[in-house]
Amino acid sequence: MSAVITVKSLSKAYRYAKRRGGFFEAFSPEHVTVEAVAGIDFEIGVGERVAIIGPNGAGKSTTLKMLSGILEPSSGEASVLGLTPWKQRKALAYKIGVVFGQRSQLWGELPARESFALLRHIYDQEAAPFARRLGELTERFALADLLDQPVHRMSLGQRMRCEITASLLHGPNLLFLDEPTIGLDVTAKAAIRDFIREHARDHGQTVLLTSHDTRDIELVCDRVIVVNQGRIVVDQPTDQLRRRFLGRKIITFQSAGQGVSLNLPGVTRRASEAHATILEVDTKLTRVEQVIAAALADGGIEDVTIEDPPMEEVIAEIYASTHAA
Amino acid sequence: MRRDLIAAAVALRIGAGQAMAGWTVLAGRCLFYILIMTVLSALWDKVADERVAGAIALPAGGLVLYVLATEWITLSLPSVHLRFEDDIRSGGLEPHLLRPKFYLLQSLAQSLGGTLVRLAALGVTAVAWLLVTGRQGPPAATYPYLFVLGVLAVTVGMLLYAVAGLCAFWTRRILPVMLVIQKLMFLLGGLFAPITLYPDWLRKIAEATPFAAHLYWAGVQALHPSGAMFLQAAAWQALWIVLLSLLCLALWRAGLAKVLREGGV
Amino acid sequence: MIGSLRLYAAQSAAAIRTSFSDRGNFAIQVGGMIVNDIFFLTLWVLFFAGFRSIGGWRLQDMALLFGLTMSVVGISGVFFGGYRDLAATLLRGELDALLTQPKALIPRLLARESIATAWGDLAGAIFVLGVFAKLEWADLPALLLAIAAGTTVYVCASISFASLAFWAAGARSFARELTDFMLLFSSYPGSIYRGAVKTIAFTILPAGFVVLAPMGMVRHPSGQALAVVVFGAVVYTAIAVGLFHLGVARYRRGASPSI
Repeated sequence: MSAVITVKSLSKAYRYAKRRGGFFEAFSPEHVTVEAVAGIDFEIGVGERVAIIGPNGAGKSTTLKMLSGILEPSSGEASVLGLTPWKQRKALAYKIGVVFGQRSQLWGELPARESFALLRHIYDQEAAPFARRLGELTERFALADLLDQPVHRMSLGQRMRCEITASLLHGPNLLFLDEPTIGLDVTAKAAIRDFIREHARDHGQTVLLTSHDTRDIELVCDRVIVVNQGRIVVDQPTDQLRRRFLGRKIITFQSAGQGVSLNLPGVTRRASEAHATILEVDTKLTRVEQVIAAALADGGIEDVTIEDPPMEEVIAEIYASTHAA
Repeated sequence: MRRDLIAAAVALRIGAGQAMAGWTVLAGRCLFYILIMTVLSALWDKVADERVAGAIALPAGGLVLYVLATEWITLSLPSVHLRFEDDIRSGGLEPHLLRPKFYLLQSLAQSLGGTLVRLAALGVTAVAWLLVTGRQGPPAATYPYLFVLGVLAVTVGMLLYAVAGLCAFWTRRILPVMLVIQKLMFLLGGLFAPITLYPDWLRKIAEATPFAAHLYWAGVQALHPSGAMFLQAAAWQALWIVLLSLLCLALWRAGLAKVLREGGV
Repeated sequence: MIGSLRLYAAQSAAAIRTSFSDRGNFAIQVGGMIVNDIFFLTLWVLFFAGFRSIGGWRLQDMALLFGLTMSVVGISGVFFGGYRDLAATLLRGELDALLTQPKALIPRLLARESIATAWGDLAGAIFVLGVFAKLEWADLPALLLAIAAGTTVYVCASISFASLAFWAAGARSFARELTDFMLLFSSYPGSIYRGAVKTIAFTILPAGFVVLAPMGMVRHPSGQALAVVVFGAVVYTAIAVGLFHLGVARYRRGASPSI
């Protein structure tokens, strides 16, 4: 199976001038070098769905930018669909679809329909296959009512559906998704995750995704690359990671009186405060509703919060455990 | 190449559609055009009437038609400089760099689409104003030539604004660059009066600049229509369009290299 | 009364400090406006070099007009900066917070902002009036009075335009355009206006009372000239206050449009 993406010793160092106060200092600024990516290697094959995760500043977005051709590396090589991204940016552009969760790719003041029309000609698509693809995606994402609305007037969820549609209209084989579910509500996240997984499967697409949300990884990707401080820390199938690090929830109970105390398998108590009990639940051993039911039965519960463990914690744990191993 | 032009043509069409959809803004601009023509025509009529001793002689018929044309062009110009500044400084270039078409050509084409709509609307306003005020306009046969010079003129103007906008790759605010370029367009292009009325030394400087290509030629054609002058005007405008395009291209390449190397500005 | 003035001074000072806060941006804005003003001054110098006079107006008259206009715009922008985007403020519903407080509305709305470029206009005004307008020291009281009256009419006319927002949401951008049109009429020699245009310049877009009549008072001071200037200031203040409070009453009834 030939690789879709091959990365060898890829590095990127940013050099910027550190501003110091004073008139004369402005003429001789101190230069600081930051290594955003410090020599990474990996390969991604056809049809793989890979997540790149890591704390802020770990080098995820930088890596994605280098692989899509909009950033030149300081050293190293990469090959994406047989092309060198930063040297053959335009040729590569025809074959990839990109979605940025935090930046709109569409023309804000234009109705979505016009953005799509522009994209058809930008990617030199024939009218018939383009119309078919647009029709399918419009139905799948229920965009019919949105097509005539200017993008900047849409809600985040509506806009993301249009953005993903826009990235797929030219039938790319490779999808880059940078934080695609950020800021969305639970239902919207689920819809997008389901769609990415199914669409990729049906069309044999390769997907490279970055995210802060562990559920994105669990439900969409079959392989996880963890980066920290510009280096790859872990590169494993999701299954293996899941067993040890994913599938946990943090449940916080607010109670008027004394805290909650439960005796269930996989439930451990974390450092708690006066009226709040914080429990960590291994959902493979005990389901969330069982924990809540037990706590409610105890009585005195005023509020419940259910959260995923922060990504930083998961990464730190992964990092610590791989070092220990 | 052919496909690049098709994509640019679609962008032009969409830009035109957007301008037409925002017709209230267009109407406001037409109203401003009427008001400023009211004031400027009062000014030049008064000067023509007075003939003060020692004053420069105005061309026969006064300068109203000249100013009608220069304001027609100036008020049609698109704010590409703001769009470039915004895209460049906010990282908004990234989505465009990930696409297989040339950002500069696409966005200028889209802006030109809106400009052509404004040119048409303001042109209709100008003709209506002439009719309502009972003034003699240029002969109807010259209108197509005027339109051609007008389109070339706004293209020169748009490219000048583009140069200002592309400076955003290097400066934090383009406002100073933009102000200087805009005032030079008014002064050396002869917004309020043809550069032929300036003192010699200033006229010679103005003629050598793209600013005269932007405003002076169309204005003077409205005042004294002539076939020979039309060809001369079109040639000068075409020359400056080529030179300014090359400048924009050079600025773009340099700026893009910076963005690709440093990940931003 | 003194209390209200003190309150206004405090608010205005805060707004001015805010406009200074980004030094780089402030410098660019002020510098830009100075370039702008030098440019227009250059145009007029060239114009009068070529055409000598227009309707009896010479370069020094145009300079006085220009200096007066820039003084009015400058002082309005620095000390009453809220006038410029008043329609937008009203349409955003920002009145609500102010309506529950006991102090007068209009001063609050004016003092909330100070416009950086206005300092450039003031600098330009001092330069133009000092160098080109051929004024004597004896003219100073009349000049100051002219500036005060002109600022009053300019700010009050803007308030009137903005008050249209209480009746129609489309007034937001239009109010600002009307203020710009008023400035447009204030930027050319008054001697060129005749007939219907002159009527408009003295009524709906009162450039006449912002600069033309005050200027006449500076050049040819007389009791009659003073009366006209004061009359204009009083009338436009009354219109502004009346229109605004009619609008507020309508707003309170819930009948006003909002964004």
